[in-house]
Amino acid sequence: MFPAPAKAVTLPAMLDRVLILSVFVVASCGLAYELVAGALASYLLGDSVLQFSTIIGCYLFAMGVGAHLSRYVRDEDALARFIDIELLVGVLGGLSATLLFLVFAWMSAPFRSVLYVVVFLVGVLVGMEIPLVMRVLNRHRAAFSELVSRVLTFDYLGALAVSLLFPLLLAPTLGLARTGFLFGMLNVGVALWTAWHFRAELGGVSRRLLRGGVILILLAGGFLLSDRLTHWAEQGLFGDDIVFARSTPYQRIVVTRWQDDIRLYLNGNLQFSSRDEHRYHEALVHPALAALPGARRVLVLGGGDGLAVREILKYKNIDSVTLVDLDPEMTGLFTTSAPLVALNAGALRDKRVKVVNADAGQWLEGDVGSFDLIVADFPDPSNYALGKLYSVPMYRLMTRHLAAGGYLVVQSTSPYFAPHAYWCIDATLREAGFQTWPYHVYVPSFGEWGYILAGTRPGFTPPSQYPVATRYLNAATTAEMFRFPPDMTPPVVEPNRLNSQSLVRYFEQDWGQVIR
Amino acid sequence: MRRRDFIGLSAATLALSACEPLARLRGLGIPLSVLRPGMADGHRLRDAIKLPEPGGELSTGVAILGGGIAGLTAAWRLAREGYTDFILLDGPEPDGNAAATRFSVGAENYAAPRGAHYLPLPSRESTHVREILADLGVIRANPQSERPEYDESALVHSPEERVWYQGAWHEDLLPTRALPEAEAAQHRRFEALIASLRTARGADGRKLFAIPIVESSRDPVWRALDRLSFAAWLRREGYTAPSLLTYLDYASRDDYGAGLAGISAWAGLHYFAARDGRAANAEPGAVLTWPDGLQTLARGLGKYIPAGQRYAGYALRIEEGRNGVRVLCRDKDGKVYTLNARRAICALPLHVAARVVPNLAGYGFDARRHLPESAPWLVGNILLRGFPKEQAGVNLAWDNVVHGSRGLGWVVSTHQDLRAARPAHTVFTTYRALADATPRAGRDLLQRAPDTELLALALEDMEQVYHPLDLWRRMQAVELILRGHGMAIPRPGYLDNPGLAALRSTDGRLLFAHGDLSGYSVFEEAAWWGDIAAQRILKG
Repeated sequence: MFPAPAKAVTLPAMLDRVLILSVFVVASCGLAYELVAGALASYLLGDSVLQFSTIIGCYLFAMGVGAHLSRYVRDEDALARFIDIELLVGVLGGLSATLLFLVFAWMSAPFRSVLYVVVFLVGVLVGMEIPLVMRVLNRHRAAFSELVSRVLTFDYLGALAVSLLFPLLLAPTLGLARTGFLFGMLNVGVALWTAWHFRAELGGVSRRLLRGGVILILLAGGFLLSDRLTHWAEQGLFGDDIVFARSTPYQRIVVTRWQDDIRLYLNGNLQFSSRDEHRYHEALVHPALAALPGARRVLVLGGGDGLAVREILKYKNIDSVTLVDLDPEMTGLFTTSAPLVALNAGALRDKRVKVVNADAGQWLEGDVGSFDLIVADFPDPSNYALGKLYSVPMYRLMTRHLAAGGYLVVQSTSPYFAPHAYWCIDATLREAGFQTWPYHVYVPSFGEWGYILAGTRPGFTPPSQYPVATRYLNAATTAEMFRFPPDMTPPVVEPNRLNSQSLVRYFEQDWGQVIR
Repeated sequence: MRRRDFIGLSAATLALSACEPLARLRGLGIPLSVLRPGMADGHRLRDAIKLPEPGGELSTGVAILGGGIAGLTAAWRLAREGYTDFILLDGPEPDGNAAATRFSVGAENYAAPRGAHYLPLPSRESTHVREILADLGVIRANPQSERPEYDESALVHSPEERVWYQGAWHEDLLPTRALPEAEAAQHRRFEALIASLRTARGADGRKLFAIPIVESSRDPVWRALDRLSFAAWLRREGYTAPSLLTYLDYASRDDYGAGLAGISAWAGLHYFAARDGRAANAEPGAVLTWPDGLQTLARGLGKYIPAGQRYAGYALRIEEGRNGVRVLCRDKDGKVYTLNARRAICALPLHVAARVVPNLAGYGFDARRHLPESAPWLVGNILLRGFPKEQAGVNLAWDNVVHGSRGLGWVVSTHQDLRAARPAHTVFTTYRALADATPRAGRDLLQRAPDTELLALALEDMEQVYHPLDLWRRMQAVELILRGHGMAIPRPGYLDNPGLAALRSTDGRLLFAHGDLSGYSVFEEAAWWGDIAAQRILKG
């Protein structure tokens, strides 16, 4: 830190040191805003080379504009304007990261415009700083060459310090929003410090100090509350109150609640709404289980929310349910969180249930016994890795673990919105040697949704009654599920062969036409 | 003004990445192993003045000398037909070019090839390969039909291949869509020619280009192409597009270990036109691959060898006598013994056979004139923690090639895993044929170059594509495999090599079997000669 000025130092020399220290801090802050903006844009938009290049370019250009504008400041006002600019930079720069994040969360379209406007404004202000400092110093000192050398030395040193601190310390520990607030406070600190030390030369010091103090408190508040702010921003993305949000190595899990509606999102995709999930899960489980009165062992692949298990456990004849889900955070959440456990009726805590956290393919390759029913409740096949879960070799692996006369039921995306993908899964099951019985149900929060029931023996009759309590299914709704209306006629599709992964392409094309 | 600091910071990063690779490897504590399979044993054999005296004797019906694909296929055929009175002597590297490695990380094992890593769908003529694949469960149904049904887990999964061209990835190995029309037109012309050659037949009614190569047409009009280099033929036919020539040169080095100017034009066309196998459940041009490359097949064949009949060690001398074949062998502990066999199959590469079979000229093969040149190869297995960062929206493929590089790109060993989540580790296997100078100069390099230089060659392609810091921080172990004689090069004139023809037809007490007999090195040819030798033995 800068040492406290000794009594013997003459006033102008001490003031110079104050200004030189200001240069160091100001330079640090200037680079910090640029780095924060670049990192934030890379994080939100991707393509870091593009983001950093355009932001640096915009920023440097804006600094040039600032340097140019500085000539319109009169010499006698230079110090006062410098303090004003520091306050402005502090507010704008300090808030920039949080502001940009909020803009991105609530209105994604103008994000780039806001980004470059913010970067430009901060750049203009930062560009004015150094020329003004030099002019202030120049009024006190004659040796211009030494002045230039000292100012620029500290300018570069400040920039170097931040360029190292930012990626190594600040961004990882504080995050972008709080780093922004921190540097904003430093800028305001420079303004206050300078105003105090030059109070003899400046008029209206107490007014400036008051203004600076208010801004400092605001920024400090922002620094302390920025976690809350990003949380609100995410809520803006999802619309409802977020009751749980966590990034795991596999996915981002977000649970929202609005009145009595609990929703689960994985990577931003809705998995269920508690208002109508009973339709989805009853349809997933009961047609198969009602047709297997002797069933004892059930395997659920995916479905870490335990809602399918809840339906399965309604059957007294079931001895054991094995749930294989990749993500321990997911099954842990649905085993411990009170509102979520209330939703799955404590299914994952039931002594008949065994939870395994493993990759379904890897687990099935092992020796795991056989099951009367296998429920494949995987995420939609939106990429090549997930596409493998809907492939012929995967279904053959499942056949190996299916008891004689048993069934496999597969959640199969929407036969209405993604007909090629849906019927591709049907064709894939047939290719793997299964007989199939496709069906569908209307789930209000999803739209029309599809499943495929598959078995190795011919002949399946949809149940006309259910031995357990159901809210949606009865003889009439069940019969309706297995009928496909004329506007849902199957298109001609190829099975999902791993060599070509047609399913992922069908899925992308189908949904690409639905989502604008 | 702050731009300068940015440049300074980037310069520091660059300085770190430009630092000498081996020093970095050591600095980061990454273990490096450099393997030269068979090199020391082979050179000792070459330089030996006097062979050791045997300390024991052993006898068998058939001695199969060499545990590569040819030897293993011979063993498979014999055992399959109920003939089990044989011994297979492995040689310095069991499974030969189909060998693989395994990295252990905690409870997980990651296999990766040390040599050959894929098999194209066998054509109609490759009945022996189809039979093997059906036996090993890779073909599920209709093995000898037009389109057999394959086990999908062995068919290469999508996305299969991509090429790095001008700073971006493109699908397939030739970035046709990214090129100007004049070049693209030549690509289409070449593709159309190959499509017609795939079905074309010669005056004798045989397919022009077949695998096994001996089933190809003998039509002299087409065989005349064997007197030209592929480069000369391309020039003559007006193929001048730089992108096409670069791609063809890549293909030539990849399959034959030498560039366009160093291989026969007939071989160059054979590479593209002979691979016309189809599958009921895959796209045309699909290939079969496993995490450990072709070792899965080698292991499957090896299972047919009755317990205790596969020996470690190698042959020092093979001599035909009046009652059979005497083989002087060294076992894995260095003990020397004589193996007496009624008949023997010399399933060794020919540059080794030339040292081990004193009377090779008596079989019509004069090593000085008939020995095919062989290409030196460098294979690198890089164990990575996680996967290096790809460009946004780009998927890692199984085969990844850098257009215009002297390397041959890399394959991903975990690509075929049936997993929704990426594994914690993976192995990238990089390939490089040392085809820039003469094969001898390449071998000198493999023998003498410091590990630094070899490592830099192995990493060159990956370092072009990935951020060096990202790549290096993920590296957990590196294994370099140096093959001085990786494969026979089909130079112009190789089709009519009389020495090879003589060994192919040998049917006495000593038989020969190796891919080298076809003049180039692929699984199908090695298996073919192993099968032929076994069938000759079965006929008695």
